[in-house]
Parts: sequence; structure tokens; C-alpha cells
Amino acid sequence: MDFNVQADTQEISVFRKEVREWLQENMRGAEGLRWSATWSTRENEEEYQFRRKLARELGEKGWLFPMFPVEYGGAGLTIDHQLVLETELDHSGINLAAVFYTLARIVAPVILKWGTEEQKREFLPPMLCGEVSVWQVLTEPQGGSDIATCHTKAIKNGNHYVVDGQKTMVGYHHPPDFLWTLVCTDPSGPRHENLSWLYIPGNSDGITIQPMSLMMGIKNTVFFDHVRVPAFNLVGGENNGWRVANTHLELEHGGEGRVGADPLVERVVAYCQQMRVAGAPLMEDTSIRDIIADMMIELHAVHLFARRNFWHRYVREPHPYGGAQFRYYQRMVRLRNGERLQQIMGCDALVPNLTVNEVVDFEYVVRSGPGMLHGGGTLDTDRLVFARRVGLGRPTKETAPTTI
Amino acid sequence: MDLRLTKTQNMFKRAAADFVKVEAPSHIVTEWFRNKATFLPDLYRKAANLGWLGMVVPERYGGASASFTDCAVVFEELGRVPLPGPLFSSGVLSALLVLEGASEAQKESLLPAICSGRSIVIVAITDKGVDWGTESVETRLTNTTGGFVLDGTKRFVYDAEGATSFICAARMENGGIALVLVNRESPGISITPHVGFMVSVAEVRFDRVKVAASSVLGEAGAGWQILDGALQKALPILCAYQVGACQEIFDFTAEYTRTRVVFGQPIGRFQRVQDHCVELSIHLDAARWVTYEALWKLDSGLPAAAGVHEAKAVASEAYYQVCNFSHMVHAGPGTDYGHPLMAHSLMAHTLYQYLGTPLHHKRKMMDALYPRGKG
Ligand SMILES: Cc1cc2nc3c(=O)[nH]c(=O)nc-3n(C[C@H](O)[C@H](O)[C@H](O)COP(=O)(O)OP(=O)(O)OC[C@H]3O[C@@H](n4cnc5c(N)ncnc54)[C@H](O)[C@@H]3O)c2cc1C
Repeated sequence: MDFNVQADTQEISVFRKEVREWLQENMRGAEGLRWSATWSTRENEEEYQFRRKLARELGEKGWLFPMFPVEYGGAGLTIDHQLVLETELDHSGINLAAVFYTLARIVAPVILKWGTEEQKREFLPPMLCGEVSVWQVLTEPQGGSDIATCHTKAIKNGNHYVVDGQKTMVGYHHPPDFLWTLVCTDPSGPRHENLSWLYIPGNSDGITIQPMSLMMGIKNTVFFDHVRVPAFNLVGGENNGWRVANTHLELEHGGEGRVGADPLVERVVAYCQQMRVAGAPLMEDTSIRDIIADMMIELHAVHLFARRNFWHRYVREPHPYGGAQFRYYQRMVRLRNGERLQQIMGCDALVPNLTVNEVVDFEYVVRSGPGMLHGGGTLDTDRLVFARRVGLGRPTKETAPTTI
Repeated sequence: MDLRLTKTQNMFKRAAADFVKVEAPSHIVTEWFRNKATFLPDLYRKAANLGWLGMVVPERYGGASASFTDCAVVFEELGRVPLPGPLFSSGVLSALLVLEGASEAQKESLLPAICSGRSIVIVAITDKGVDWGTESVETRLTNTTGGFVLDGTKRFVYDAEGATSFICAARMENGGIALVLVNRESPGISITPHVGFMVSVAEVRFDRVKVAASSVLGEAGAGWQILDGALQKALPILCAYQVGACQEIFDFTAEYTRTRVVFGQPIGRFQRVQDHCVELSIHLDAARWVTYEALWKLDSGLPAAAGVHEAKAVASEAYYQVCNFSHMVHAGPGTDYGHPLMAHSLMAHTLYQYLGTPLHHKRKMMDALYPRGKG
């Protein structure tokens, strides 16, 4: 087994050097910015613009999707290159999967798997190059977890679909260029055989976006009122949407994997080394060290699960239950860490520190703990998927869909 | 990055799986544990013949010069049983201890015998039930004319029953720690099995046992460093054994959720039962990946101390918790000593303590990463 780029080959060390130098050059000007990594209530226009620019520059080199084919805007590199890129970006506080507000990391592989050649050539390059942002638009107010009960209708009319309905809890602070949307194309059809996916331009007439202020940041309700979408933008076949959704959900439910790791523990340790209580650094306190140890061990397991899932995805042998297991665990660990941070640093854990990346902004970790439990499906759907994949109480096991 | 086992490792794994299928079927294993008859000389000899003792020892000393991961995949399969007997305690830990700290002459005389199974050498470390640190070594080693006298009582000596000799950690008059090789037949040694919710452990009393000066392993006074060095390499193999155990429990627990029907449906359809299985799997896989990462570090010559302590903490905790979650799924029938889960429960409690609890190793992990007194 090799958990890393064990000994950098000549090619990989040259690449690492190239990435480092590139980052030094391209991160210039970012020093004064406050980072908000994935999404949050701490909106800052200057930072957002910087992130978009950084994404375009990464995208130009194919580095946003290092392992994707060159013809669609990837770089056609290996898993070891991906590892180098993620690790080096992590050092700068950037998560390669979320350089700016977009969910291309999930939508792009789904389109790569289900799109026609023409669709891939049209939709993928702008997404992979970081030029456009895309939201995933599934949840409805009535259906909630049960996304197959989809009331948003898309009825074919000539070369177009006409979309009517409402989605909720989707997207980010900035309006999207595209909405990757689950719709019902056959209202009288049987469950799971009446759905389709539309790649809807964000500037289409009839779309209204209403921001919602949530404990973890901004999400939106989206209203579709007679929105006309070219039939070309239906991906994966009419009424075949549930199968496409399986690919989508496998990625979203943890099957995506990740090779990099978040630096939360290092930041906690740095805090404890500096903060003195009763004449000694907090880091000398045995009970504090015990709490940090638990935090570190659980985060390490989360990280190894993510790496395992990435590996399985990469060799096209999806882990049977790894995605759901990872996501359930990651979110429970995050929740526990919120409490641990409060135990370690008292009320300092409740004060936002706008000078740091939000991944390691302690207040954000604490605040988002309970909210982040539900994104893309709740802890209960994770466990439900796990049970089916392992075949608990069932004679057969549901197989995990292959993703790209 | 490559998270697969090699062809050879898959071969080792299969060989071990085939062996335990034939030699240790479940109904016989439950009897061993029910009767606490866990030292099985015949089985030990057969395992020795397959080359599973001292796998990581260099060939010139009778080992197989295998990598740590090679050895771990075998122990993972043995853990599924769980196969009792001093395969780890003598064949891995003591072998590595001798390799780590003994003189060349001692290596040449001890290692081939350990690897062939002729000698079963068992390490006796702690005098205290609650501690596995240096302070726990209280048995005294005093100078006399022509040698030493060893006096004290070691607790929780794992696999003591089958020992042909002990390596005893002892406190010298100058306060240092020496490792002393003592023949089991030496006058003054008595072995009393611990009675309670554990297996294969005993109290070993050294009552003014005479030992020759040449019986000190390596340099007197360097005993603790030698032991620490050996544990650094041996522990992940023990972790792999615990991973195998967790995997087996996961498999038979999932199967039970399909076959056990109450209220007219298989219990696996109850979401509460599913929850137990989810938690169980998380412990299993955390143990698996932390363990194999530590093994990879050892095999690659990377700094491994923190990872090794972490693995022991995670794997022992996992084995313990996996048993508990499996008990929740099995309910009544799982508490019968005739059920395979009981063998695991006994073993899990034993290994939770053996060579230090999860808390002990978490603290060692932290000390390896962030030494105290450095601000
Ligand atoms: C941080 C965050 C980000 C999000 N981002 C997006 C996004 O980008 N795009 C998008 O489309 N949506 C998004 N959502 C919405 C999210 O997908 C939904 O919140 C989620 O699917 C659950 O739906 P609900 O909130 O209506 O809960 P409900 O479905 O009403 O669930 C209520 C409770 O019932 C439980 N429950 C429901 N069904 C079952 C079952 N079968 N078995 C056991 N228990 C069950 C749930 O676990 C929960 O405890 C986001 C949500 C959050 C919090």
C-alpha cells in the first residue's frame, strides 16, 4: 500500500515545485483577505472576486480538475498530481473542491458520465475552467429528503421544456450561471421513472431567487415560473433522471472522496501553545491534550475514509458503503468538534476570527456543526443508504453506482 | 497513491484464511474460550510450520524477512477467529525485542528458536494493573556474586501459560530498567492465571530467582528504550489482528440482521438496528485504515511513532466497541458463551488492556507529536 506520493518521482517533484511557485505568484494580494472557503455568512466581495480569478487561473491550467480529460478542460494528470495539488492548496487555506461558490465538483462528473458528446463539449469546458458557477437544485419544500417526490414540472413544448415549481435550501450568496435541476417530466408517470435533469442557464426569464439566512450561511429558495429551457439541456435522457440522480447522489453522499486534509487540529494546537492559563500554556494541560487527541484521531479517520473513497472512485470500484459511512461520520465528528472547541478555548470559540480561512475559523466550526448535518441529505438518509448497501435485513445488497 | 494489497499479500491472506477455516472452526473456538483453554501447542506448531512466527525477522535468523504489512495481513486473518496462542506475543513482540536490543550472540541463539516455535518467549512488563509506563516496572534486579537476583510479581502477562522463558522488565539498583531473560523452569517462578473477564493472562511471580549476568538482554539500563523500540514495530501487527476480529464481527452481525426475524421482519429493517451497524462499521474501518497507514509508514521508513500509538488506541477501542454494538444487535443469544461473539468479547477486553489502554496510547501519541515543556 502507498498512502501518499511515497517518494516523489522526478516528475512529481518537478510538479510540486511548479505548483508551489505558481501559488506563491498567484496568491499574492490575498494576504489581507478573509477566507470563506465553502460558503458562509461572512461575505466579502473583494475576496469573492479574488477567488473567481484564482479559479480561472487554476482552470486555465486544467488544475481545477487535474484528472479530467484535457478535451473537456481537465489536465489529464494522475492521482499523484491530484494529491500534490490538493496538499499544496491546503497549505494556502484553499480547498481545491471549493475554490469559489460552485458545485462543479459534483455536477461535472455527472455530466461527464451521462451527457452526450455534444453536451459534454458545450457544458464541461466552461465549468472545468472555472468560468461559470453552478448550483445543485434538488430539494423542494414539500418533499424534503424524499427528492423523488418532485413537484417541479418540466413539460416539453417543441424544442423546449417549460419549467414550473419551487426549490429550496439551494446555492450560495452569489447568483449562479447554471442551475443543475431535478425536474418531473412525466407528472402521471410511475415513481422513479418520471424524472429528468436540466442544466438551466441562470439568466433565463422566469427564475426568481430569494435568499434565506441560515445558521451556516446563505441558501436560497428558487421559483421557476414558465422558464423555457432548450431541450438540448436535458442530460441523461428524459425520464431517466433517477439513474442520473444515483450518480449525483453517490458523489454528494461521500463517494466523491478527497485526498487532502483540513488543518483544524494544527490551528487548535497553535492556539493552545500561545494561550497561557495559570502560568502555563494550555498545551501543557493533560485534560486539554486528551480532548485534542480525540479530535485529532477522529479527524484523521475522517480523512482516511475520504482518501479511501477517492481511491475507490479513481479505480472505478466504488466502495459499497464507504460514501454514506464517511458522510455520516464526518458530520458527527464536526458536531463533536464544535463542543470540543468550546471545552478547549471557552468563549473564544464563539467569536469569529475574520482573519482566517473559515475551515479553521473556530466560531464557524461551532456554529455550522448542527446545520451542516443535513446538507445533501440528513444523517438518516446516510444511514439508510448504508443499510441498503450492506444489505442489512435484506437478501441482496444494493450496488454502489460507478462514478467518474 | 495505491491502497491495494500486493499479489503476495493477497496470497498470504488466503493461506491464513484457509488455515483457520480448517483448524479453527467456530464451534471449536467457542469451546476454547468457554474453558479458557487458549494455549494450543498443536495449533502453534502448525502455525510455526507455515512460517508465521518471526515473519518480519531477517532470514539469517530464521525469519522470513517479510514486510510489516505482509505480516499484518496474516494476523488480520488470525484475528478473525480470534486465534489464541503466543503467535503475536512471542512470534512478533519478543522476536522484535531480541532483534532490537539483544547482542549478536543472543540473537543467534534466541531468534531461530522463536521463529521455529521451539522457544516461546514472553515479555513481562508491568507490575501494576493500571499502568504500562516506566513507573510500572517495580520487580527488582539485585546484584549478587556471580549474577543477579530477580524479585517481584508481574501482572497481566499475556500468553504466560505457554512460555518456555520470560523476558522480564526489572528495576536495577541504580534505578535503570534491564530486560532479563529467564527460563520458565528456574526455581522461584510461579504462574497464576488471572481469573475474570479476560483470557490468556496470568500473574507471574519471580521469587528470588537467580539469573546469570549473561541473561541481561543487550545493554543493562537501556531496557525501556529497547522495549519501546520493539513496541513501535510490533503494535501495528497486533492492531491488524484486532482489525480482522472487527471485520469478522461486522460480517456475522450483518448476516444476523438478515436471518433473525422478529415482529414479522428481519431485524435489519429496524432503523435502530441499522444504527448499531453503522457505528460498528465506523470503528472497524477507522481501525483498519489507521492501522494500515501506520504499517505503511513503518515499511517506508517514515517517522511512525505517533501513528503507531494512534493505531493501538484506535484498534483496541474499535475491537471493544465493535463487540458492544454487535451485542446490541444480537441481544440475548450473543451473551451465550457458545456464541462466537463471546470469544471476541473476552479477547477484546483483554487486548484493550494488553500493552496499554487506548488512553495510555493517545497520550503517547500526543507526547510524540507535541512534547511537553516546549510551550
Ligand atoms: C447546509 C445545507 C446545504 C444544503 N444544500 C443544498 C443544495 O445545495 N441543494 C439542494 O437541493 N438542497 C440543499 N440542502 C437541502 C437538503 O438537501 C435538505 O435539507 C435535506 O435533504 C433534508 O430535507 P428536509 O430538510 O426537508 O428534512 P426532512 O426530509 O423533512 O426530514 C426531517 C427529519 O426526518 C428524518 N427523515 C426523513 N426521511 C426519513 C427516513 N426515510 N428515515 C428516517 N428518517 C427520515 C430526517 O432525517 C430528519 O431528521 C441543503 C441543506 C443544508 C442544511
